[in-house]
Amino acid sequence: MWCVNIVSSMSDLEHTGQRAINTVYAGLGRRYAAERRFRLYGMLAVLSGLAFLVVMFTSIISNGYSAFRQHYVQLTVEYDESRVDRNEPAASDFEGIVKSSMREMFPWMSGRSDKRKLYGLVSGDAAYAIRDRVGDNPSLIGSREALWVLLDDDADMFFKGYVTPVRRQLMSSGITLALEGEKAVLTGDEAAFEVIVTAVRDHLQAQLAVARKEFEDMGRLLEETEAGGDRDEVVRFKAKLESLRMQISGLQARISSTSLNEELGSGMPSFLINLDGVYIRINAITATGVSGVVFAEDVTGLPTIFDQWQLVTLEMPPADRRLSDKEIVVLLALQDRGQVESRFNSVFFTAGDSREPEQSGILGALKGSMYMLIVTLLLSFPIGVAAAVYLEEFAPQNQWTDFIEVNINNLAAVPSIVFGLLGLAVFINFFGLPRSAPLVGGLALTLMTLPTIIISGRAALKSIPPSIREAALGIGASRVQTVFYHVLPLALPGMLTGTIIGMAQALGESAPLLMIGMVAFVVDVPQGFTDPATVLPVQIYLWADSPERAFVERTSAAIMVLLGFLITMNALAVVLRKRFERRW
Amino acid sequence: MVTAEELAYGMERESVAKGPLEIFEGGGQVVTDRDDRQTVGEPFVDNPRVSARNVNVYYDEKHAIHDVSLDLGENEVLAMIGPSGCGKSTFLRCLNRMNDTVASCRVTGKINFDGEDINSPKIDVVPLRAQVGMVFQKPNPFPKSIYENIAFGARIHGLARHRYELDEIVEGSLQRAGLWDEVKDRLEQPGTGLSGGQQQRLCIARTIAVSPEVILMDEPCSALDPIATAKIEELIDELRKQFTIAIVTHSMQQAARVSQRTAYFHLGDLIEAGDTKTVFTTPRHRLTEDYITGRFG
Ligand SMILES: Nc1ncnc2c1ncn2[C@@H]1O[C@H](COP(=O)(O)OP(=O)(O)O)[C@@H](O)[C@H]1O
Ligand SMILES: [Mg+2]
Repeated sequence: MWCVNIVSSMSDLEHTGQRAINTVYAGLGRRYAAERRFRLYGMLAVLSGLAFLVVMFTSIISNGYSAFRQHYVQLTVEYDESRVDRNEPAASDFEGIVKSSMREMFPWMSGRSDKRKLYGLVSGDAAYAIRDRVGDNPSLIGSREALWVLLDDDADMFFKGYVTPVRRQLMSSGITLALEGEKAVLTGDEAAFEVIVTAVRDHLQAQLAVARKEFEDMGRLLEETEAGGDRDEVVRFKAKLESLRMQISGLQARISSTSLNEELGSGMPSFLINLDGVYIRINAITATGVSGVVFAEDVTGLPTIFDQWQLVTLEMPPADRRLSDKEIVVLLALQDRGQVESRFNSVFFTAGDSREPEQSGILGALKGSMYMLIVTLLLSFPIGVAAAVYLEEFAPQNQWTDFIEVNINNLAAVPSIVFGLLGLAVFINFFGLPRSAPLVGGLALTLMTLPTIIISGRAALKSIPPSIREAALGIGASRVQTVFYHVLPLALPGMLTGTIIGMAQALGESAPLLMIGMVAFVVDVPQGFTDPATVLPVQIYLWADSPERAFVERTSAAIMVLLGFLITMNALAVVLRKRFERRW
Repeated sequence: MVTAEELAYGMERESVAKGPLEIFEGGGQVVTDRDDRQTVGEPFVDNPRVSARNVNVYYDEKHAIHDVSLDLGENEVLAMIGPSGCGKSTFLRCLNRMNDTVASCRVTGKINFDGEDINSPKIDVVPLRAQVGMVFQKPNPFPKSIYENIAFGARIHGLARHRYELDEIVEGSLQRAGLWDEVKDRLEQPGTGLSGGQQQRLCIARTIAVSPEVILMDEPCSALDPIATAKIEELIDELRKQFTIAIVTHSMQQAARVSQRTAYFHLGDLIEAGDTKTVFTTPRHRLTEDYITGRFG
């Protein structure tokens, strides 16, 4: 049929005197258009992929970069002989030293709960730091020195700006301070406290809006209920409506009054007034000014008239944040005195996991991952390559090898958690290997990566032209010589690629490791293949699951470390592959 | 006395002069009369180096070689010609058991080499292939240095105990393959970087480096240009003094130029074998005549 067509179209061409090339030209535009379109689709696909990558990296980096720095506080540490035992320094009361140092600096934090809060601002690590310091230098006992120690994670978060936005404004309309016991009353002209007044009015407006909305909803509900005819309900709603009406009119009156007279509740931003280093927290606003509490021990020497002062606004209301106003005042005071410093977070890279975010680090998980990958690589690469070589080059073609091949392919598709169960049943329960150990993790992941390596290894072997094999066989090389001198070296780059894919898979795997106990909370950095350990992805999961804000940034930082690990591994593979490929 | 070249040209002229094709009869059916396929000529020689008797080759069900009996004489070049797919390569590969690498391939019959049947189970293919070397259609140097290409065979067979012995083997083989002058300054460079003709000579050098007694060549020049071909042909003539050579070629001129004896294969049958000059000038079988006069193939 087609042959007839060709003949007829050929004769058509001849009849009309048209040359075939004209037909070719006529279709050329469409061909090129299709090509351009295809290129465009390809570019769009690549670009959207890149866009996702950029979004992912920006989100991870913007969340995590701050974890690489950590805030330290400078304490004046007294190695008091009453606290530090010369003969047995390790048994000393180092926590007491930290506490007394803090107490000395902030005597006005005097109540029980205030004290607890005060001590809580310094990390528990401070006591260990002092212990180590004394242990290294026993001659310090009896003297005092300034020592930088870790801040607690909440304090660190505050300085990183995650607890509340802090706005500092320098005010230059004069105010007068009058002290009535604990209470400080500040008076000044309208401009002095305008910021606070506006904030209070805004807050009242917001409350009003909420009340109005509620009022409208209630009115609608009442109409519906009246139609339904439930008496009791109607009465109840009417009463509620009335009370809302009262609330609204009350709020309206408060907003419109020319001289506000309001208490500042915990649902509002906190206002702190900094008078030459002394902080006053504003509690109420009156017609003539504001009043509040002084956060200082001794204010008798303070002048009464200030031409310049600082207004510090903590925009997050105290009810919504983890640090109280008092704690923040302590931190601000420390910062004012230059006793807070941001440093590189070396703890993150030298410590294992911890319940305290500021003392937790990635090293434990990193080493766990490393040990596990070493086990996986040492087992799966030789076994995988040997299996691939045997199946591809030596195995006879029969039902057995077919069966094995099908099973290897199926194994590659088995959900990874199954390998975890297998690892639990075989390596831990049967062979009695230790739980949570990188050795067991590596064994389980070997099972998982083997099919990947075998399959890619066979593909690599298949891609070697048969002429190479024939050449070697033709001069009398045995099959083993042919494979090991000629085929395998050529296939190795491809096999390495497969191995790296398998290793990357293993590095990112967490599900099977949960089954063999690598999800445990491990504080110590593992020192060997049988020490309890966790791995990077599991560590990320554990931290992501923790409520503390400081763990959020550490989660992202750990993801960066994981990606870095992966990129290093891939780079290494590329280098290796290049080296093998240079031998043609 | 006619030279090989004149002979080749003469044949071409002759083929033009011949009449139209008569081999296809009755709607394109090939003549399948078995009697017509008995080998004619002189397939056997005195004191053969290799002698094949009643060789049959099967690829699964496909019967690729039918009952072929043929001798390779000492220090002679035997050319195997015939249309594509007639089984020349298959037969050639029987001679060093390269067909072992094809899973579906089955060989029956006797092939005597050194007084033993190479198909018998007690024969080891490794020493066999060291004695019966092979050069392939497409040049296939190892992706290693020129030196390594030659040295590999000598090394695996333990022909050189010291580095200088290996050097000697490499130099000698390259010299005999006529490649030494071209590559002596770049022995460490990859063999795959040479030109096609040089690669093929490298493959020949690699084959002779293990000092085989028989060399099998499967269309060694089909991927080469005429100048490279001429060089290889010269080389084959040179090698004949020392080796027994079986060469498959699709070029009748080449067969005429390089060989002493010629075997013509047709659809798995050995149709005619004999002195090259006789086969080309006075073919005894109609199929041979049709082929060499260019009626088909
Ligand atoms: N590996 C193989 N598997 C199956 N059939 C083959 C194989 N190699 C060759 N054959 C068949 O055997 C016949 C002879 O092939 P071959 O010896 O390569 O011919 P020639 O070299 O004369 O062109 C052909 O019909 C071909 O299809
Ligand atoms: Mg062939």
